[in-house]
Amino acid sequence: MVLELLSGLLVSAEIFAFTLLLALPLGLLVALGRMSANPVVSQVFRLYISVVRGTPLMLQILFVYFAPYYLFGMSLARYPRLLATVLAFSMNYAAYFAEIYRGGILAVEAGQWEAAKALGLGRRLTFLRIVLPQMVKRVIPAVGNEVITLVKDTSLAFTIAVTEMFTLAKQLSSANTTMAPLVAAGVFYYVFNYLVAWAMERIERRFAYYR
Amino acid sequence: MKKMVMAAVAALALAGFVGCDKAADDGREKFVVGFDADFPPYGFKDGKEYKGFDLDLAREVCARRGWTFVANPINWDAKDMELNSGSISCIWNGFTMQGREEGYTWSEAYVDGSQVVLVKAGSPVKTLKDLAGRKVGVQTDTPVQKELAGKGERKEVAALGKTFAGLVVMPNYNQAVMDLESGAVDAVALDVGVARQKMCDMPGKFEQLPEIVMTETYGIGFKKGNTALRDQVQATLKEMVRDGTVEKIAVAYKIEPKSIILKP
Repeated sequence: MVLELLSGLLVSAEIFAFTLLLALPLGLLVALGRMSANPVVSQVFRLYISVVRGTPLMLQILFVYFAPYYLFGMSLARYPRLLATVLAFSMNYAAYFAEIYRGGILAVEAGQWEAAKALGLGRRLTFLRIVLPQMVKRVIPAVGNEVITLVKDTSLAFTIAVTEMFTLAKQLSSANTTMAPLVAAGVFYYVFNYLVAWAMERIERRFAYYR
Repeated sequence: MKKMVMAAVAALALAGFVGCDKAADDGREKFVVGFDADFPPYGFKDGKEYKGFDLDLAREVCARRGWTFVANPINWDAKDMELNSGSISCIWNGFTMQGREEGYTWSEAYVDGSQVVLVKAGSPVKTLKDLAGRKVGVQTDTPVQKELAGKGERKEVAALGKTFAGLVVMPNYNQAVMDLESGAVDAVALDVGVARQKMCDMPGKFEQLPEIVMTETYGIGFKKGNTALRDQVQATLKEMVRDGTVEKIAVAYKIEPKSIILKP
């Protein structure tokens, strides 16, 4: 049973890893778009964040997987479910990360921009070298929150029949009429998140310079 | 550190996406059976693989036809989207035909499924009449749920449902049985094959009422209009009835051979 659950954990871990890989940078892009001086760009990203945060992730997963067929009549035979899952999760988490990043960027005092300007730094360089590092330091706890939620959200992948750990636990529980697999899955989630929290703490400490 | 992360990601990529494609590319036709894996003895997880009465039938059909068999557990609520979009070839899963006649291209009925009531051992409920004023659990999106809720066509079942204190709709049978065990509901209405399985798993815990709530028949559901695939599967299944394979598989899952109703 434990072995079975571990194979499910691998699927959950894949969704987790790929989503972070895509959503963390994508979030920055969305945040910059949202803060753009161009009102059209800014409104587009504002709408994106609004829609993504305002609808259930479960619905978004269904949409990303089935839209090619229902909107364009394309067969889904060669569309990996895991790919659709990761795309939907990344789109969703990017919106949340974007708002966290935006908060972090706005929290950097205007004096930093002014000082950089006085030293003759351009806007781009100021952002990359002065503001971004300070933003990163500030958003780590909030990002950690989101990352831990992501671990648990992976169970939503079964909406489009991706059998991750929680689904496997439910199936094993049904097949043998016992609660043990669900308890074991709970332990696995906890251990996974314990490691995530530990890693986030280490990262936070590494970024704690100048404090 | 960064290199290690990249290596881990690459390894995961290989394990995941490439792993999926392997099954698709061996040249043989794929036959993807969509089923609810919370539904023993028709389809469930057993060790590494999925098996069950229906899945073993499907596996044998594929073996005889030279197709690659793929058992794909699905989210039961999304089964129509899965089927219509071509993600699965059929729904084969103790799939009741009554009330769904128009939604699918059906095979002929192959098994007779009775809906029975399970209560806790020693419960004061001994007959269907005793269910008056009691809470009864059912699985979501099943015909027995629809009929008991009075949204079906069988008046006597709707009348029975009216006597209940409430109908508690569960995502799957396992959860319904957990509710029964813990006393959250007084009875569960479910398929006789599932009831028997639960009583075997937890001997002495439950009793089955002697009466039957309703009978229904199970068929294989294909995408509406896909008669070509339906005819192929059905022909092979009939051949398996003729040579006794279906009966053998039924006995292996404690399903009564006399409930097999497909004529060879």
